[in-house]
Amino acid sequence: MSTEPASPVLRIEGLVKRYGAHVVIDGVDLDVVPGQVVVIVGPSGTGKSTLLRCVNGLEDIQGGRITFEDQPVLARSRTVHAIRRRIGMIFQSFNLYPHLTALENVMLAPVKVLGESAKEVEERARGLFRKVRLEHRAHAFPSQLSGGEQQRVAIARALAMNPHLLMFDEPTSALDPETVGDVLTVMEELALEGRTMLVVTHEIGFARHVGDRMIFMDGGKIVEDSPPEEMIANPRNLRTQQFLGSILHH
Amino acid sequence: MSPTVGAFWYVFLTGAAVTLWISWLALLLGGLVGVIVGMMRISKWVALRWLAVAYTEVFRSIPPLVLFFGCFYGLSYALQLDLSPFAAATVALTATASALMSEVVRAGIESVTHGQWQAAYSSGMRYDQVFRYVVWPQAIRVMLPPSIGVYISTLKDSSLASIIGYVELTKSGLLIRETTGISFEVLLIIAVMYFVINYSISLVGASLERKFKYVH
Amino acid sequence: MYEFNLAGLLPYIDPLPRAILLTLWLSLLAIVMSVAVGVFGALCRTSTNLIPRFLGAAYVEVLRNIPLLVVIYLIFFGLAQVGLRVDGFNSALIALTLNAGAYMTEIFRGGLLAIPNGQYEAARSQGMTGPQLYRYVVFPQVFRIIYAPLGNLIIGIVIGSSLASVIGVEEVTTWMRRAGDETFRYMESFLAVGVIYVVLAQTINIGRIATGNWLLSKAPVGARR
Repeated sequence: MSTEPASPVLRIEGLVKRYGAHVVIDGVDLDVVPGQVVVIVGPSGTGKSTLLRCVNGLEDIQGGRITFEDQPVLARSRTVHAIRRRIGMIFQSFNLYPHLTALENVMLAPVKVLGESAKEVEERARGLFRKVRLEHRAHAFPSQLSGGEQQRVAIARALAMNPHLLMFDEPTSALDPETVGDVLTVMEELALEGRTMLVVTHEIGFARHVGDRMIFMDGGKIVEDSPPEEMIANPRNLRTQQFLGSILHH
Repeated sequence: MSPTVGAFWYVFLTGAAVTLWISWLALLLGGLVGVIVGMMRISKWVALRWLAVAYTEVFRSIPPLVLFFGCFYGLSYALQLDLSPFAAATVALTATASALMSEVVRAGIESVTHGQWQAAYSSGMRYDQVFRYVVWPQAIRVMLPPSIGVYISTLKDSSLASIIGYVELTKSGLLIRETTGISFEVLLIIAVMYFVINYSISLVGASLERKFKYVH
Repeated sequence: MYEFNLAGLLPYIDPLPRAILLTLWLSLLAIVMSVAVGVFGALCRTSTNLIPRFLGAAYVEVLRNIPLLVVIYLIFFGLAQVGLRVDGFNSALIALTLNAGAYMTEIFRGGLLAIPNGQYEAARSQGMTGPQLYRYVVFPQVFRIIYAPLGNLIIGIVIGSSLASVIGVEEVTTWMRRAGDETFRYMESFLAVGVIYVVLAQTINIGRIATGNWLLSKAPVGARR
């Protein structure tokens, strides 16, 4: 891992996203430096997921600028594909390809998009399956896997591209409670490896143990941005207090 | 089966073979046209989308019998073409089948969820790669059962080729009926033959469908 | 060179409205009768008794796999031979009804099966009687499921009614063939009748779409998106 104090890998400046007249993101600024784990929390419908999709160029934006590794992220541009290859995305609903086995899901993009040899990719994929503790499930189809297993395959799929940034969009929200732990453990290990991560989640415990920064979003704006311990123990903003109160005592 | 009618067994079987052949040909051609029109339906260009909707709706709305008539007599006179009954029937059947297939193709593609597109895009694939590796393999599975339905429907529509003198199964029956003067028995045999053919196709289709499920 | 001349059909314009009306009348009767057949068929197919279930299934499979044209010939020519003479219009009507009834059966059955058992139990637990249960709980839900395929089937019936022309019923397709045969303006008569069928089918189609929009507007907010 690089030790230089490093320019941000991701820089978001004055981001505005609207659907028609409805403003979803209303002027967000955010820098993420390499190795940082940034956890975004906030009530649903406040633009957290949309923010991730904008970073990946899946949504066009109405204002501001997103820069990833010194390249502007522009949806529908020619350069967006190259940027997406360096960003791994994990979705709430997994979005595994149902017609492919777990292993084939992991291998598809490295082989077809990056043009790597299937043999090498398979070796790497096997390693990733060990990392997510699913080596025995590599040949199962998504429909044969539990939610927690599917999400771990999805993580392996993202890792297979050797991404420089991992984005998690509520990765445990669609899971049964008993499988949440397996997924969080894998994510924690990734953070310890020094991966750069942007995580939207309601798991405050994960934020506290793993996060370097915690961001509270509400109404399309960043309301508070501080180290997790500090925000959880001593939220400055009233809305942060209310939100954390509601999910901590749940 | 009475001996009078039974003597014509070879004519019945030939008719059935011709019916299978022309409906298979029309399904193939209709499938090709249907894929093009179906892809136009989901194009980002409005003009292409409208063209595709118009094509589908027109050929779904005009009765196949009217199309047979239009192709055989209409085109022959208008274009001074001496279209054979076979050529006219193929064109007419293809027109109907392609309209049905374009809907099957569109529905197949649309059945692939938004999340699949997003996952594929976020791994850096281009539009054509997303289509080839993620969307199309899934859409094909969804398209299979209704395609079997289109084949059966095309096979039934091919009976209308008898109107323009193309000797397939129905026309064979009508010719035997004229020769022997026996209506009920001959027509019943024809009906049973259609049933056996189509029911077999639907059984094969059902087993293919089971085989094509993601879990093996 | 062929000269396109729609005016060549003018002498034949007089019987056209009558022919259109006959197409509509034949279709309408077939729709009404096949709905009745379909409801009955669906009840048979969802019955707990094996015999009606089997008979219903057999009816559907047989009629769905035989071309409508062959059914029409069987009734018109075939029944005549065994002593039952049915005229052209009624032969076409019976054949259309039998044919569409099979598809109606499947549509209604699909709608009935889509309603979970809990809906019946909930309605019963609130003291609803059989008719109330169907009127307020089951039918509104079934209708949402079946209106789209129902619209397509109705278009199919109008299209199918064109086959009545092969046994001399003076509907639109017969008009097309006669006008073509007598003037050699085949292309013109084909296009004219093509337009008529497209207008008829699309009118039904628009009705179907409007029904869909109306149902959507009535849907609770949570059910959208």
